[in-house]
Amino acid sequence: MSSDRTKKTKPADHPGTLIAESIKALGSGFATTAKHLLRRPVTEQYPEQKRVLPERSRARIVLTRDPDGRERCVACYLCSAVCPVSCISMQSTGGEGGRRVAAWFRINFSRCIYCGLCEEACPTSAIQLTPDFENCRQDILEMVFEKDDLLVDHGGRDDRYCFYRHAGIATDTAGKGEHVNEQPPVDAKSNLP
Amino acid sequence: MIKLIIDNLRVEVPPGTRVIDAAEQAGIMIPRFCYHPALGAVGACRVCAVQVLEGSCRGIRMSCMIEAEEGMVISTTDEEAVAFRRQVIEWLMANHPHDCPVCDEGGQCLLQDMTVSGGHGRRRLPVKKRTHIDQHLGPLVVHEMNRCIQCYRCVRFYREYAGYTDLGVMGSAGRVYFGRRSDGVLESPFAGNLIDVCPTGVFTDRPSRFKGRYWDFERTPSVCIHCSLGCRVTVNTRYREVVRVEAAHDPQVNGWFICDRGRYGFPYASSPQRPRSARIDGRKSGVDEALDEAARRLSGIAQRHGSGSVALAASGRVCLETLGALTRFGSEKGWRGPFFRAGPRTAEALQSASKNLEEKISISLKDIEKSDFILLVGCDPVNEAPMLALSVRQARRRGAVVALADARSVQLPLDARRLALRPSQLTAALMRFAGKAVADGGAALSDRARGFLQACRDSRVDPAVDEQIDHLGLAARESRRPVVVCGTSAVAPDTPAAAANVARLLAAEGRKAGFFPVLPGANALALGLAGRTADHGAALREALEKGDVRALVVVETNLSELGFSADDPLLENLEALVVCDCLDSAAGRAARVFIPTQTVFEAGGTFVSAEARVREARPAFRGGTPVAQVSGGGHPPRTFSPDIPGADPLPAWQVLAALAREGTRVSADTLRKALPAPLCGAAPGKRLALPASAPDAFQPPEDPATAADGGLEVVVCEHIFGSEPLSRRAACLQELESAPRLGLHPGDAAALQLSAGQRVAVDCGRGVIEGEIEIVNEMARGVLLVPRLRGIDWHAAADGPLVVAVADIRSVKPNGES
Amino acid sequence: MLAWITGLIVLLVKLVVVLVALLLTAAYLVWAERKLLARLQVRLGPNRAGKFGLLQPIADMIKLLTKEDLVPESADRVIFLLAPAVVSVTALLMFAVVPFGTDITLFGRRVPLIISDINVALLLVFAFSSLGVYGVALGGWASNSKFALIGGIRGAAQMISYELPLGLSLVPVVMLARSFSLVDIVNAQNSYPFILVQPLAFAIFVISAMAESKRIPFDLPEAENELGAGFHTEYSGMRFGLFFLGEYVHMQVLGALVAVFFLGGWRGPWLPGPLWLFVKIIAVALVMIWIRGTLPRLRYDQLMAICWKVLVPAALINIILTGFVMLI
Repeated sequence: MSSDRTKKTKPADHPGTLIAESIKALGSGFATTAKHLLRRPVTEQYPEQKRVLPERSRARIVLTRDPDGRERCVACYLCSAVCPVSCISMQSTGGEGGRRVAAWFRINFSRCIYCGLCEEACPTSAIQLTPDFENCRQDILEMVFEKDDLLVDHGGRDDRYCFYRHAGIATDTAGKGEHVNEQPPVDAKSNLP
Repeated sequence: MIKLIIDNLRVEVPPGTRVIDAAEQAGIMIPRFCYHPALGAVGACRVCAVQVLEGSCRGIRMSCMIEAEEGMVISTTDEEAVAFRRQVIEWLMANHPHDCPVCDEGGQCLLQDMTVSGGHGRRRLPVKKRTHIDQHLGPLVVHEMNRCIQCYRCVRFYREYAGYTDLGVMGSAGRVYFGRRSDGVLESPFAGNLIDVCPTGVFTDRPSRFKGRYWDFERTPSVCIHCSLGCRVTVNTRYREVVRVEAAHDPQVNGWFICDRGRYGFPYASSPQRPRSARIDGRKSGVDEALDEAARRLSGIAQRHGSGSVALAASGRVCLETLGALTRFGSEKGWRGPFFRAGPRTAEALQSASKNLEEKISISLKDIEKSDFILLVGCDPVNEAPMLALSVRQARRRGAVVALADARSVQLPLDARRLALRPSQLTAALMRFAGKAVADGGAALSDRARGFLQACRDSRVDPAVDEQIDHLGLAARESRRPVVVCGTSAVAPDTPAAAANVARLLAAEGRKAGFFPVLPGANALALGLAGRTADHGAALREALEKGDVRALVVVETNLSELGFSADDPLLENLEALVVCDCLDSAAGRAARVFIPTQTVFEAGGTFVSAEARVREARPAFRGGTPVAQVSGGGHPPRTFSPDIPGADPLPAWQVLAALAREGTRVSADTLRKALPAPLCGAAPGKRLALPASAPDAFQPPEDPATAADGGLEVVVCEHIFGSEPLSRRAACLQELESAPRLGLHPGDAAALQLSAGQRVAVDCGRGVIEGEIEIVNEMARGVLLVPRLRGIDWHAAADGPLVVAVADIRSVKPNGES
Repeated sequence: MLAWITGLIVLLVKLVVVLVALLLTAAYLVWAERKLLARLQVRLGPNRAGKFGLLQPIADMIKLLTKEDLVPESADRVIFLLAPAVVSVTALLMFAVVPFGTDITLFGRRVPLIISDINVALLLVFAFSSLGVYGVALGGWASNSKFALIGGIRGAAQMISYELPLGLSLVPVVMLARSFSLVDIVNAQNSYPFILVQPLAFAIFVISAMAESKRIPFDLPEAENELGAGFHTEYSGMRFGLFFLGEYVHMQVLGALVAVFFLGGWRGPWLPGPLWLFVKIIAVALVMIWIRGTLPRLRYDQLMAICWKVLVPAALINIILTGFVMLI
């Protein structure tokens, strides 16, 4: 249009040129959309046509297990703290063998925005997002997942990592000095070097 | 004032201020691990390094180790200093384990904060980590030595500040170890402070272990109600449950610390046994219905037998609002009471202690730390008012003389001069001490004071101890800030008044003397100021026997505190026993109408501490059964409901208003205003406006020496764990309770032909106390110590020191046969 | 008497036929717009309800009819409820004066293919068009919502401004046809459509008409990304549906007016008159959809500048030129 400000600021432009340019610009716009009419739509017909999602796409959250099949989650509250929509809640408690475990662990998927911050915050690789995004329910209460619904029987991405082999605290997995990269416990009562 | 420049900011501080404090004043928080305002500086952690640009010591210096100088220029952001601190953090982390996710300190960990702010993320050291074996330190504290960064805060607190020696430092070089010689329960009743003091997770809280993170807790400023000192605390709640109580800083009272009773005494509030619904004649009912029924029965009885046939009973754990309700509705309705304390002796002792507290001689715990002579009379600080012991210890560390006159073998974390005296001797001993402590005739004294001084000089106790008392008095002559601390439970009724008079006398001489009462119950001072001496448990007992009292309303009180046992036959005489309490007590179970009340965590409340300081506890959560108990521990209910289960209990003052048919919509403010002066002017955070001088100041006791020969004075001993009615419900503290044994001096035991471990029954007139004998060396002769612990029927002797004849003590077999 | 009754019946039949045709066309115009826009944006558009999504308008209508009719608590209730009706009724009424074809003979009776041939039809069209502003302005005001109010004010300002070029652009047409009656104007284009002699008036009219109907690029009153939904933010259910209907009826009215004033109305070879008119209406509507798919929304100052600085002067010059040419 001839009222275009940027063009008005150029005094050299002749009004005729301006009108010609405007019409040319408009014409190219209409030509572009007209050409689109003839292109094949890019829409994928979701339920019939399913795309294979990348392995690291972020959807339904699971709780993975250690290589020895035990719960990885130590209920450290980091995921619930970082969750921007507060959809994760839990209660930590002392578990068998001196481990710290979640007494209950709840994710409200009706609130979850699949941002993946929980996965990023998780120090034990317990909480992981899977590509399974088809997670709808008729009853909203069914979107509230408890620990049993979340637990899977594999280790997910870091399937060889076991937090309690590195932690340095005594559990039934490893005692003092038995963890990765640890010296045997010292004798504090000795003054010998 | 000294002027210096820190990070281009002009700071003005008093001489002797450390640079780290000066910076804090200017709003610059220099990192620190080992430095703690209460524990001082040792320069162990090296993380408070700053660059001194101008001053007598230029270069990288530890800001906690240097004092501010005039014209000093300091930079905390200097490149070299920052690099130094970053280096320090990295090497402190060299052996730190990889366990933050399972460490309860995570989220409130100084080391974590510093590591993150120092930018240290990956361990570069190619050496394996040093490890330590942990110790089991009892039911309160968890030990995890791997996390230690050798700041020495724990031992500095435990050994130097608190004065206990079973935790120490061992090893050398990279193997420095903080712990006990071997596994075992920490002996100090202040061990819980290790958790607050430790900058990382070496010492963490065991009862709240794995219960949650700092950021998930609702933190509410509150006050500890487990003794009369009124220490400031922070209450952490989550999911309708108190999870943890921490010390809150109060420079005038508790400083940075609290005792373990205050820290771990809270589980009564979320106990599964706690009654949460009302009962009428043993049948569960709604609270409104029960209030109606109780009010109906009370007014019926008042109509039939006169309004004086309804009596109220209270204890030191009711808050000021409830006390106001008791006073207001009691006087409006013509009800008797409130009755508190077991009998005339304890009631009078409390009354004389509270009414003698006057402006000039009233002092705070902080003032005790600054005093140079402390006389503890008939009080056992560690067991009756634990933080007082720490204050006395700080004074002792500064060189004060501490003397202790008591019948019991009082254990203190300091060395004190001891006088083992029977309760009946205490008044005379005090006066004799005062007679010696005042140097001359006291020309500056008023006539009344001079009269009291004369009575003091005439006072005699016992030739065997008179000389010791005289020595003590002479030692006190030079003191500038003498303090008399007086208890109320193991003393003669006139002892607190005498103690206050002694302090007055020393103050009249021109010294900064102080009187500090140790009272039974968080709000005992208010009860003493508001109540009448005549309304005590023995008077109530008499009225019950005569049939004058037909209905009894018991408000947040254990009947044992009034000298009744739960199955006392006299209670059968009552037409209505109405109990309002937050605890599951025997009286509550026996009550015709039981009405549940809220705890201080839900209702909040105002309390007046022993030093006349008004303390406010804010409501920490709205009440209701903890989520963990509602859901059966699995997970919280999945369905939403707007009402809170178990939220029936009301604040006690609202219950009282409803009983007086005033409706529950009564404002706490108007209730406080209903109290007599000075309580009606109580403003939270301030001290009560005490009278300038008590009416019966310098009144010499009528008959100071009333030593009874041939009998034993029975003293009920408080214990830090197990005596106080709220905290004794905490499972973690029950593990620490002492075995209940009757204490006897070896001389008395020999005279009575009793030996340790032997079981005896003592007839106290009102009841029989039965228990095993323990020989206690340091106690006074002629005294029988009865612990106020479960397993002993101590309430028969609840009314202060009473005398039993030797004939009343007989040996029994363990099965109870004579 | 009989003649009067048959006249009434004929009129009623015409009314019903026109109304049904208009509403059906409006419904399928929505479908066509969504489909076409989708293709312009390389998408598929509605394709779930029926073959090619042909049942989509019906599904939409059922949805709108069954939705809850919400009235905000602080709204001016009466005006709030009336405003959508004003918009759709004025749009519908404009069709009363549009001729669909030559007179036909039915049962020996001459039936003109127009609901009402009045001699000031053009003025009537402008009157209803101006009345439509009330629906927008009042709807926005009565909602008692900031978004709606701003939308309503924008709508009022924009529509009143564009009335001017809209009217001025038709002055040459009236001059050429020498009548305000739309029947006469169509008849005047018997030999050639006016677009051939009045291209400038045509352009001004189309641009102003699009601004009148608040369509992209002139949809400032309902600018989604700044105002929610502008003047009808607070409307729901069928009341929102009435606004929606009004817009699409308006599109057809515009198509009809463009056809009548510039494209020769129902006149055309081979096909019967009403069909020609329908084809022309649809053609104009499709062009408007194409424009929507191509152009971005104007800025408010641009909107006003085009109106007052370009269209009005151009229309005035066009009148003078036309008069000049007619004189010589």
